[in-house]
Amino acid sequence: MTDADIPDRDVPDRRDIPLISDASLAALLAGARLPAGSAPRLRPLAESLAGLTDQPSSGELDGEAQTLAAFRKQFASARQAGRSRRRWGRLLPRPLPVKSAAAAMVAAIFSLGGFAATAYAGALPAPLQRLAHEIIAAPAPDGQPAPRPSTATPAVTGPAAYSLCTAWAQAKAHGSDAQQAVAFGKLAAAAGGADHVAAYCAAATRAGSPPSGRPHPARTPGGSGKPSGLPSPRGSGKPTGLPAPGGSGKPSGLPSPRGSGKPTGLPAPGGSGKPSGLPSPRGSGKPTGLPTSHGTGKPGGSPAPRGSGSPAPG
Amino acid sequence: MLAAAQRGDEAAFSRLWRDGNPALLRYLRVVAPDVAEDAAAETWLHVVRGLAGFRGEEQAWRAWLFTTARRRMIDESRRRSRRPVRALEEVPPGQLPVSPDAADLAIERAGTRSAMALVGRLPAHQAEVILLRVVAGLDNETVARLVRRSPGAVRVAAHRGLRRMAEMLAEAGALL
Repeated sequence: MTDADIPDRDVPDRRDIPLISDASLAALLAGARLPAGSAPRLRPLAESLAGLTDQPSSGELDGEAQTLAAFRKQFASARQAGRSRRRWGRLLPRPLPVKSAAAAMVAAIFSLGGFAATAYAGALPAPLQRLAHEIIAAPAPDGQPAPRPSTATPAVTGPAAYSLCTAWAQAKAHGSDAQQAVAFGKLAAAAGGADHVAAYCAAATRAGSPPSGRPHPARTPGGSGKPSGLPSPRGSGKPTGLPAPGGSGKPSGLPSPRGSGKPTGLPAPGGSGKPSGLPSPRGSGKPTGLPTSHGTGKPGGSPAPRGSGSPAPG
Repeated sequence: MLAAAQRGDEAAFSRLWRDGNPALLRYLRVVAPDVAEDAAAETWLHVVRGLAGFRGEEQAWRAWLFTTARRRMIDESRRRSRRPVRALEEVPPGQLPVSPDAADLAIERAGTRSAMALVGRLPAHQAEVILLRVVAGLDNETVARLVRRSPGAVRVAAHRGLRRMAEMLAEAGALL
């Protein structure tokens, strides 16, 4: 851009050329009204610029119907897509892979109470039991045990094994972190490893003599409000997801089912104020995509399961 | 209005269109008269698709509308031309079709028509920044981003264009 843009030679008489200040030009460009005392030579330019923003003529409003049709089509299809997304939208703010979503759902049911014990007892409705079978290696709905790893050679079986399993369930529901660690440690030792606990307890539950025939877990009023859950039966093989003894303030999470490394954090109902996500056992996962409930510390937000009271007959 | 349109409110979107389309056409008919109508239609289709995801207020909305229009206009010009068309700012001013004659502008009002004809006689980049400032109502910095020039260069181009318009008006007045 040079001064050659304005061919001076075309202008016959320089004295007729309006000398306009930059400030006036800036005002004109910004659409501001010119000051009352401004030079009359500015008037033609101001009028011309006003013409640029004059009311639209009908010719400039042709084609509205065409654009509105496109608008309707766009938002009709968006609404349709939104409807199917919204169903899960509240539970899962970000779309998760199907497997993770299923695992998250199971984990949610865990923390809502009693699911794990019920699942291990084989007492869930068939579809849910099948889901539990797939996700946490609980017995299949037809009564077939989850495939037990060949390396697992439980030293303790029968009623003794059963009591170890119920002790862990009790500790998990009501015990301190230290109690949970002790109970799970014993159970893992008996089962031949942390990743064999689920299959071990599944077998023990069937073999053991249930103290009562109550089909569903009783609700304990005033529960601890801590999120409960089970360690992954198919986790990394290391019991890395165990609650740390005395680890107050640490996340009380558990390995995600199958230890896939993808976290499946879920809101913990009535959380104790601790972070309640379910971190990956290897800690290499992406951040959880789900909100954790930073609870107010009120206990009893959710009834804790009484794991020992729930085995089904047979 | 904008938020309602983004939620799918057709009446709100209609008002946005009725407010935006005349300005869009005035800009396009001066800087690229051959493709103005098609570029405007393409612009609105593009805007409709992106509307729900748009974030911003009134100024950002107008900036988005005219940024989209400019891109569609360049695309459309490219498609029509056998030779690849360079972006406006790379084209020497003399080679641009920036002088619509009165017949092309017959559907605008007289005041609008003569003003557009006057702006159309300016070098292309001066005409464009003046239209984006006055017709689109964008500030200098937004126009600079839109045409990918420095704010200083845009200001100079606008002022030169206005002075040139004033000269042409003075010449016309001298002839009367």
